[in-house]
Amino acid sequence: MIQLFFQKFKESSISLIVIALFLTGVGLITLKSINTGQEGTLFQLSFFKELFFLIPALVAFIIVFFIPRHTIHRFIYGFYGFMIILILLPFLGNEIASTYRWIDIGLPFGFQPSEFAKWIMVIALARYLSDHNLEMNHYSASIIPIIMVIIPAGIVLNQPDLGSAIIILVPLLPMLYWVGARPFHLFLMMAPMISILTAFHWISFAIWAIIMIYVIYKAKPNLVFSISTFFGNIFLGLLSPVLWGMLKEYQQKRILTLFNPEIDPLGAAYQIIQSKTAIGAGGLFGKGWGQGTQTHLKFLPVQESDFIISVIGEEFGFIAIFILITLFSIFIIRTLRLAYNVDDRFSSLVLVGLGTIFTAHVFVNFAMTVGMIPVKGLPLPFVSYGGSFLLSSYIMVALIMNLSIDPKDY
Amino acid sequence: MLKAANLIPQRRFVVVSGVVVMLMFSLVIRFFYLQVYSHDTYKKKAEVNRIRAIPLNAPRGLILDRNGQIIVDNYPTYVLTVIPGEMINKEKNFQIVSYCTGIDTTLLKTNYKKYYRGRFLPARLAKDLTFDQLSRIEEHKQELTGINYNQFPERYFSEKINASHLLGYVKEVDKAIIEEINEKEKYIYGDLVGWRGLEKVYENRLRGIKGVHFVEVDAYGREIGQSSDYEKENPVPGIDLQTTLLISLQAMIEKMLDGKRVVVLVSLPESGEMLAMVSKPDYPPDLFTGETTVDDWQKIISNPDKPLLNRMTHGLYPPGSTLKMITAMSLMEKGKINYSEKINCNGAYELGDRIFHCWKEEGHGEMDLEQAIAQSCNVYFYHVVQRLSIDEWANACNEFGFGQRTEIDLASEAKGVVPNSQFMNKQYGRWGWSKGHLLNLSLGQGELVVTPIQMMQFINNLSMNGRAPSLHVVKEKPQVKRSVNRYTHQTWKRMKRYMQNVVSSTHGTGKRANPEIPGLKIAGKTGTAQNPHGEPHAWFIGYGEKNKKQVSVVVLIENGGHGGVTAAPIAGRIFDFLFSSNENMNLAFSL
Repeated sequence: MIQLFFQKFKESSISLIVIALFLTGVGLITLKSINTGQEGTLFQLSFFKELFFLIPALVAFIIVFFIPRHTIHRFIYGFYGFMIILILLPFLGNEIASTYRWIDIGLPFGFQPSEFAKWIMVIALARYLSDHNLEMNHYSASIIPIIMVIIPAGIVLNQPDLGSAIIILVPLLPMLYWVGARPFHLFLMMAPMISILTAFHWISFAIWAIIMIYVIYKAKPNLVFSISTFFGNIFLGLLSPVLWGMLKEYQQKRILTLFNPEIDPLGAAYQIIQSKTAIGAGGLFGKGWGQGTQTHLKFLPVQESDFIISVIGEEFGFIAIFILITLFSIFIIRTLRLAYNVDDRFSSLVLVGLGTIFTAHVFVNFAMTVGMIPVKGLPLPFVSYGGSFLLSSYIMVALIMNLSIDPKDY
Repeated sequence: MLKAANLIPQRRFVVVSGVVVMLMFSLVIRFFYLQVYSHDTYKKKAEVNRIRAIPLNAPRGLILDRNGQIIVDNYPTYVLTVIPGEMINKEKNFQIVSYCTGIDTTLLKTNYKKYYRGRFLPARLAKDLTFDQLSRIEEHKQELTGINYNQFPERYFSEKINASHLLGYVKEVDKAIIEEINEKEKYIYGDLVGWRGLEKVYENRLRGIKGVHFVEVDAYGREIGQSSDYEKENPVPGIDLQTTLLISLQAMIEKMLDGKRVVVLVSLPESGEMLAMVSKPDYPPDLFTGETTVDDWQKIISNPDKPLLNRMTHGLYPPGSTLKMITAMSLMEKGKINYSEKINCNGAYELGDRIFHCWKEEGHGEMDLEQAIAQSCNVYFYHVVQRLSIDEWANACNEFGFGQRTEIDLASEAKGVVPNSQFMNKQYGRWGWSKGHLLNLSLGQGELVVTPIQMMQFINNLSMNGRAPSLHVVKEKPQVKRSVNRYTHQTWKRMKRYMQNVVSSTHGTGKRANPEIPGLKIAGKTGTAQNPHGEPHAWFIGYGEKNKKQVSVVVLIENGGHGGVTAAPIAGRIFDFLFSSNENMNLAFSL
């Protein structure tokens, strides 16, 4: 067994797990810095807790790495159903910070099932898209995948957790593209959402209308379809301010804070400025470990998870940030390369989906700390503090390494 | 299908990888811009300036009387706060603060612990600072890093009235209290939250929305000025609460009743609006705002008269003869009474082996229904009530709202008890009770207990022919939520006439409730409720009408003796206050 494991391990892309472990190390060093000056017993400090979380994460890595791919393929739909139930469970429990993301499992920490929904979703999609040797250039072929994704995304959005909902939705696009969906169809899928979002200012809406005309003209579908697509979207856009007006004020506010928490003046806007100041003050080389004055950014309630980059940026500087981004890029491109090279379509799709999840997490997390996008509660893979996500991340690495090997008799 | 071959065009791989590289590259550029290109700006900002968000407390809404007179107001106080992470030397800072303000360091430390929320969030050290204390703090500002003061609106109660049970009070949110609040996320330690009475019921309306303003401070914690990056958000004060109370009437009643154990309620039957609500003894309403001394607290807790008890809604009393109206009306409606039937009262009535007494030992003589109500003859009712079953009688009581909450907009209320056969079976066993119990109950004695606020609803229904709007303290549209439908117009009319006789006939028990004002008609009923705690409780319920304007009154004096002797005169003074002066009439009917 053990021999078999090492044999399989040697054949896999070891560089991925090396990068993951290195990044976790960076995270732990940063947590240790944040912990200096904090009081508390061993198990109240995030450094030790994260170290402790690493054990189940590595065990899960070994187990998942060893599961034969046909087993994964066979049971994934069952897992998908189980996952739907799991993400509904927190609604039965207590509200934590007025959300329903966590399940209380009677341990001193909670458990966040939406983290697992992300990759289960990708595998289930991969199975559907590879099983059905679909004529992917037909629009209707995307309908069932869309439904498969919308259900868990809708539930998670109600928790409410926009970040995770986006992560569940996003892999669908590259995966469809990967199996050959026409870019025009992917455009059609996104169009209604863009119509609604752009409708709030006439300039953005006008630009969007022009882009639509151009794309529809280039794609050359039949006339009726073109016209109905175009006006359908225009109508949807025109309708959305009306529907918006029908909402009660507190409902509007809830939606606005969901998309843009910066309207809460004591909350996110303040955080972003503090975060930017910390990162900017770090400079090229940083202030050194434990030296971040800004810093020990106790302004940020989530500096250990979502805003850990602010601490790294201040204490280790642009060099560290550049190394981190490079490592993540290598990790992701390597995953895509494996997806391109692997022999079967199912594995290839899983790899693309997981690559997308990592890309989205990394980009959103980095971008929000410097105010490029509104604050979304998405942690940085391997680096941020958080048990469920660490476990989930290592399972994803195991899946990538596992499925990228040429299937022999493992 | 696992064997589906992987045939990905290279172009698609290049496109997807290209997108990833572009995203990552944009991050690198952004971070480079911030950390290398703009480094100097941010370095300065981090070293010299810090932006501090200072929450601006929103004043709670005022509580007003029906004519806009302020009952509960706010006044600004100054509180001293500290940002723990900005203090360089905690011990020394506390010593300086103690020196400047005269407040003991142990008290400062206790507060510090109590209000601590996080290293960079302000915690409160002291409140109610005087300008003297503030100016001394300001002198030492340089040494006192992390210590600030800001304005805090405190509750201020009108000196004219107490009305403490009704208004309730606010509490400061701390670690223990925040666990009991519904919308936890809206409060931070040190905020005020309505804890009892109107302050609690209308918390959502009274609580304002906090504002925030951002100041830049230097490394020593000194304010440099407004932050240019952010706009100040002004706090939104809470919404004022317009009550239906008449402050002058409430004040007059409270003064009249000092030192007694008594409840007085005054309302407008047509709208259900409460004009005055007095429960004595009470306590000063600002008892809970300042730092209550242990002595004060002990005094209130150990007072045998229980000033903290809200007798209006939680005091349970036997209603006494005031309940005779229900017995009479049920009999009338069922045709079980002949209005000219006379029954001789010789002061006592024998049933089985028990003797039931009338309150008038020598007896009333020959009585018909009208006289029996006016003179509150017990013997007459001993006779006639036997024509009803206990459940018929209990149903009639329930219909008038006894045994149920009135749903008045106060934080909570007791339900009281209306015994029916089921209840009696449980209490005494299937064969353990008899008609004799019903005789007792129908006089408002025994297991039957009611709250004064239920009595208010009862008398309002009598005056409004069963369609009295539900009682309320905060101005709203009159709503008939529960009506008494069983009785005919004649029955109501007859009942009113009888009740007028209680006050106006020469032998009427309620004579003393009549201030004898031309044009004013008063209908009412007295009650004298025996109880095991000493003297009987004295009741008067009634309403006065002049120029089609009605005011109803409930008076209850604990162990007050005869209702006609002690309770009725109080009602009389209230009627006199309202109906003898046009000014007061206008104020009472202004809304």
